[in-house]
Amino acid sequence: MVESTTPTAAATDPEAGEPLLRTVALTRHFRLGGFRSKRLLHAVDDLSMTIGEREIVAVVGESGSGKTTVARLLTMIYPPTRGTIFYRGRAVDKLRSRRDILWYRGEVPLVFQDPYSAMNPVFRVSHGVMRSLKLHRPELDRAGRQREAERVFETVGLSPDMLAKFPYEMSGGQRQRVGFAQALAVQPRLILADEPVSMLDVSIRAGILNMMARLREQEGVSILYITHDIASARYVADRIIVMYGGHQVEVGAAERVLAAPRHPYTQLLLSAVPDPREEATVVTADSGEPPRVINPSDGCRFAPRCPLAVATCASVTPSLSPMGPGHEAACHVAAEDVQNHRPVQLAFSSPPPPGAARSTTRPSPETAGPPGRAPVG
Amino acid sequence: MTDPLLDVRDLTVDYQAERGDVRAVDHVSLSVAPGEFVGVVGESGCGKSTMLFAIAQLLSAPAVLVEGSVSFTGRDMVRLTEVELRHMRWRDYAVVMQSAMNALNPMKSVAAQFSDAIRAHARMTTREIRERSAEVLRLVGIDPAHLDSYPHQLSGGMRQRAMIAMALLFTPQLVLMDEPTSALDVVAQRALMRQIKELQEQLGFAVIFVTHDMSVVSHYSDRVMVMYAGQTAEVGATRRMFAKPLHPYTRGLMDAFPSIRGARRALTGIPGSPPDLAHPPSGCRFMPRCPDAMPECVTRSPEMYQVDGAEVRCFLYEGPAEETA
Repeated sequence: MVESTTPTAAATDPEAGEPLLRTVALTRHFRLGGFRSKRLLHAVDDLSMTIGEREIVAVVGESGSGKTTVARLLTMIYPPTRGTIFYRGRAVDKLRSRRDILWYRGEVPLVFQDPYSAMNPVFRVSHGVMRSLKLHRPELDRAGRQREAERVFETVGLSPDMLAKFPYEMSGGQRQRVGFAQALAVQPRLILADEPVSMLDVSIRAGILNMMARLREQEGVSILYITHDIASARYVADRIIVMYGGHQVEVGAAERVLAAPRHPYTQLLLSAVPDPREEATVVTADSGEPPRVINPSDGCRFAPRCPLAVATCASVTPSLSPMGPGHEAACHVAAEDVQNHRPVQLAFSSPPPPGAARSTTRPSPETAGPPGRAPVG
Repeated sequence: MTDPLLDVRDLTVDYQAERGDVRAVDHVSLSVAPGEFVGVVGESGCGKSTMLFAIAQLLSAPAVLVEGSVSFTGRDMVRLTEVELRHMRWRDYAVVMQSAMNALNPMKSVAAQFSDAIRAHARMTTREIRERSAEVLRLVGIDPAHLDSYPHQLSGGMRQRAMIAMALLFTPQLVLMDEPTSALDVVAQRALMRQIKELQEQLGFAVIFVTHDMSVVSHYSDRVMVMYAGQTAEVGATRRMFAKPLHPYTRGLMDAFPSIRGARRALTGIPGSPPDLAHPPSGCRFMPRCPDAMPECVTRSPEMYQVDGAEVRCFLYEGPAEETA
């Protein structure tokens, strides 16, 4: 990696083994109603996660699971209620000077969900890229900025003459590429992509996902990919974090979580993905109703929807426990099953993949992991 | 097939613009049998929503229905007056809009909005209205206690369900749905699709379901119509289409989304973007993006050709099979 605008961080070299980004018990509550209201919405509770160098991590969950709040906490749009974000070993909430905050925001930019409202319609699309460059790359002169803008446009698959276009002249997919170009212009280490394809037509989503994989290969960035679509998470991500009602319920290597999901919610998510290549999946009675996150009591937030729930689930909040190498799930039932070497209980089933028995504890061999990693489009 | 409930012939809609008319829907024909579930699939700007609005006679300027007929229960809706249409709306056919957040009035409770719709189309006592409203809410799986809730107090999935409940107030024969699930996450989406399907089987109404995501309708529709650039690209039975897509565009749509099962493989999507309908390309409209383009695709426009009970607009299937009228 080329180190250019990392003044203070380069000095306090991060400890070896420290991941690129790490959160410790990150929590964010929102007060609903007036100043004196006692109603607290628990958007994110005790989230501890890591993102490594050149890693694509997907945060998967339904609307209201807290995944967008995670992105906003990481960008410092919201201060956390509790908990800390460590970026390259430095506590982000300790960043005080404008210089340090600019440094962090340049290294960790955000790509927005809605490419139709993320750009100012009265400016050409070059405006955003140029402004970022001016702010974050003061060493560049006007010609240098132009060159750099053209370079990032080409990197995201746009022709440089598109810099002169207005947002309305571009399609949704092209605008989302501009969003990534803007993020890339500041030489980021970690791009936070909040549902970057959910507003786009299905036919052009693959192009954006392929571009994300290519950015990791060519530019060496890490990506936090926030999505409700677990199939696309599998397509680009190395690791998947499944969130439900503000809790992290399962985390692990993408292929592993998909092949042997331990948390019932992950199983539900998987069974809900329509696969047109197959006959209709088994019908489950789940209604898709969201969890209670306003003044929640202790206990598993998925318990009211969970067919496997036991008495403990209603009173004790499960914490992440190991399910296999690098694979953790927050489920009392699964934890007990693992301890007693019992097979996985499937709360929600989906048809097993051809030639693989899904209902065994035996994980699919790691070698069967990512074959076509980093498809280049 | 029995007598169709809805028979659309050569439906053509123009958006009249200063720089010339834009033909958003170009001679589209579609017939829907009673109780049938038809999915309409295509990218943004392919004319699928415009077609739905044209069928419902809800077009407003600058969109103009310039040609074609919409025969519904034997009457040509295009020729009906606004007063005659008002008697049919909600009672005989209903429309579920894409964004329930915007389609529901945020200032009124669910009960008040249901009551508005009922009072506009029937004479019922307040108590009957209340009972009917509770009944349709129960149908879609919402606790009738939510009758007095305001839209913001409901989740996205519940709002969409409430919209569907409203469409069912008079148990219409045809429900037109414009992407009702696109704002929902997968779990809520599947729950809603299943609900629609169950209600449809229970109450026997026909559905036209517009979506850009082919996988949504894959398990619920009887037939699928794929639209591209204002025209029909392919129509056929759902299972057949997913097993053996004919049109290169249909194949492209099917290969556009990743699978969660089986081997992980690289996706290509469909390169390029749909044509500018103000200046559609000559010949086949999909030709510039088509992996199978042939020289004649540039010079001639393909018709709809019949292949094993399906219809497809592609020269690959021109040949011994007889042409459709």
